[in-house]
Amino acid sequence: MSNLKTELKQMIIEILDLEDIEVDEIVDSEPLFVEGLGLDSIDALEIGLALNKNYGIKLKSDSEETRQHFASINALAALVESHRAE
Amino acid sequence: MAELTPLSGGLGASPGKLIAVDRGKTVTIADLRQRVLCWLEIMRDRQGTRWAVYHSDAFEFLAILLALWQLKRTACVPGDNCRGTTDRLKKHVDGFIGEFPTTALQANEKSVQVSSSGQWVTPDTNYAALEIYTSGSTGEPKPIQKSIAQLEHEVRALEALWPSQAGTVVLATVTHQHLYGMTFRLFWPFSSGQLFERALCEYAEDILQQAKLYLSFSLVSSPSHLGRLNEALSWEPLSGRCSYLISSAAPLKRADSQKACSLFAAPVREIYGSSETGAIAWRSQQESDQDALWQALPSVFLKPNEDGTLCVRSPYMGELERFSLPDRVAFDENGRFKLLGRVDRIAKVEGKRVSLAALEQRISENDLVENVRALTLQRQRVETGVVIQLTAEGWLELKRSGRKILVKRLKENLAAHFEAVVLPRRWRFVEQFPYNQQGKLPLGDLQKMFEKEAVSWPEVIDERVVDDQVKVRCVVPGNLIYFDGHFEGNPILPGIVQVHWAEYFGRHLLPVKGTFVRLEVIKFQQVVPPNTTMEITLQYDESRQKLIFKYESEKGVHSSGRICFG
Repeated sequence: MSNLKTELKQMIIEILDLEDIEVDEIVDSEPLFVEGLGLDSIDALEIGLALNKNYGIKLKSDSEETRQHFASINALAALVESHRAE
Repeated sequence: MAELTPLSGGLGASPGKLIAVDRGKTVTIADLRQRVLCWLEIMRDRQGTRWAVYHSDAFEFLAILLALWQLKRTACVPGDNCRGTTDRLKKHVDGFIGEFPTTALQANEKSVQVSSSGQWVTPDTNYAALEIYTSGSTGEPKPIQKSIAQLEHEVRALEALWPSQAGTVVLATVTHQHLYGMTFRLFWPFSSGQLFERALCEYAEDILQQAKLYLSFSLVSSPSHLGRLNEALSWEPLSGRCSYLISSAAPLKRADSQKACSLFAAPVREIYGSSETGAIAWRSQQESDQDALWQALPSVFLKPNEDGTLCVRSPYMGELERFSLPDRVAFDENGRFKLLGRVDRIAKVEGKRVSLAALEQRISENDLVENVRALTLQRQRVETGVVIQLTAEGWLELKRSGRKILVKRLKENLAAHFEAVVLPRRWRFVEQFPYNQQGKLPLGDLQKMFEKEAVSWPEVIDERVVDDQVKVRCVVPGNLIYFDGHFEGNPILPGIVQVHWAEYFGRHLLPVKGTFVRLEVIKFQQVVPPNTTMEITLQYDESRQKLIFKYESEKGVHSSGRICFG
């Protein structure tokens, strides 16, 4: 699980071309959007794309649910884990 | 062509007429009237003619607008409902309706007795029914007023070019709080008998899920979404259902247009316009092997101004006889044109208009900032960056708290006033702006400050000492500068770079001394493509001052040789 979290952090930094942030500075439980990492709606689209490419995850057509999955690294990791278990 | 019902007469249609869908469920005129009455009930007793409106549900939004128009009031519609926008609006409106971070009117859920359709007045079509806002070049948002007649005119021009098929469902990835979304998602469908989907599609997966529910649909979208469609999703179920895609807010790349066209198996219609003028031109890029030119919509007249910008005349600009858009254009002999970029300091970031002057103004309000320049950067996406000259106090703060904390503080001040997408993602602090000898600040010099550092070294995984050898495991990065042009379309790592790296690691990890003299028994046996994981083995013969190197990967030995020092 902790490897997965590191992997997700690396993925986010890389695909979003983020500056001034290292993997170990992203806090697992901190919000990714608005406060915390301060990501925006375009970043959400990119993360959605990358989740599908890297982990085969398809987002459900429920924006509220997606918002919860994208809330933090912890939530993203849980999403990937539960997808693997299926 | 579907017969158009004017916006002003929309409520008078037969009660069973379908107007919208809610994830598969249909919504009728009777439902809409019900909601308009609920909103009317709470608006009637309130004084004031100007009301700010924000609602994330397209159906409720339309109900609020129609209710305000029944009372001949003005709907002031901001593009977002963030704190700064709300505070700024307070001075200009009599109150708020819907979803705002301040006291706002909410309608009851309870149903109101709907009597005969005779209770509806036909709204005046010539007063300022709608007020929207756009970034003015001074930084202050500029209000733009529209009458219902103007909105109806624009819908007629669109319908004349692309007749609607009644019953088609209109899906959207763009908000109705902006004029583009309002016109294409709400007003046009509502007038032409198409059904709008209440909820926004935020991801490609949403579009797929929703579109499957309908036999015929169209999609109102933007380059931000159409440029990020995932081919790996299963698009086949949509085959034959999509009538067309619409893209606006910024020009869509031809490759993205063609990709979207093939995934949806439908034409992509691009719209060019502005809040001031509404939609004025269109293009389609499916059949062209170069970027397609724009052409005017029916009833719109376009020509270049003397300064190269675009002059617009159209029947739906209200009292404005003509309007100049700050986009430079080049016309061909058939009256079609190319867009060459803006002449002012308004930038488009992922389709969102932002005034760079306004960004600068807000940032410079901070005591830590002496001087600031904002610019747009084309990196993996379009984004804004800022170069800041700090005050003495600012430098102290930078030393004390560090760069990250400082950036965070400056950014927090901005977040209340700008949408997240346009907030600067890159910050540079300088002692002095790079003014040239003419006292100008060339954009290119500012842009250079944001260029990525050139990648010229391998990414080291680990270094191990085995007996008298050093082994360096590393990856040869795909974005290495040495791959540029070596060779076009078939990148391989140049041999001289391998020698250079061997020398570098030798000097750092082994007691290599002296200067380079010559190479011996150099062999390049296999090429090294990008992203290869390599192991570099180095051994130093101190008495003969020779560094022996070997590059290996899972494919075997790539190169080997000796570097002689003296």
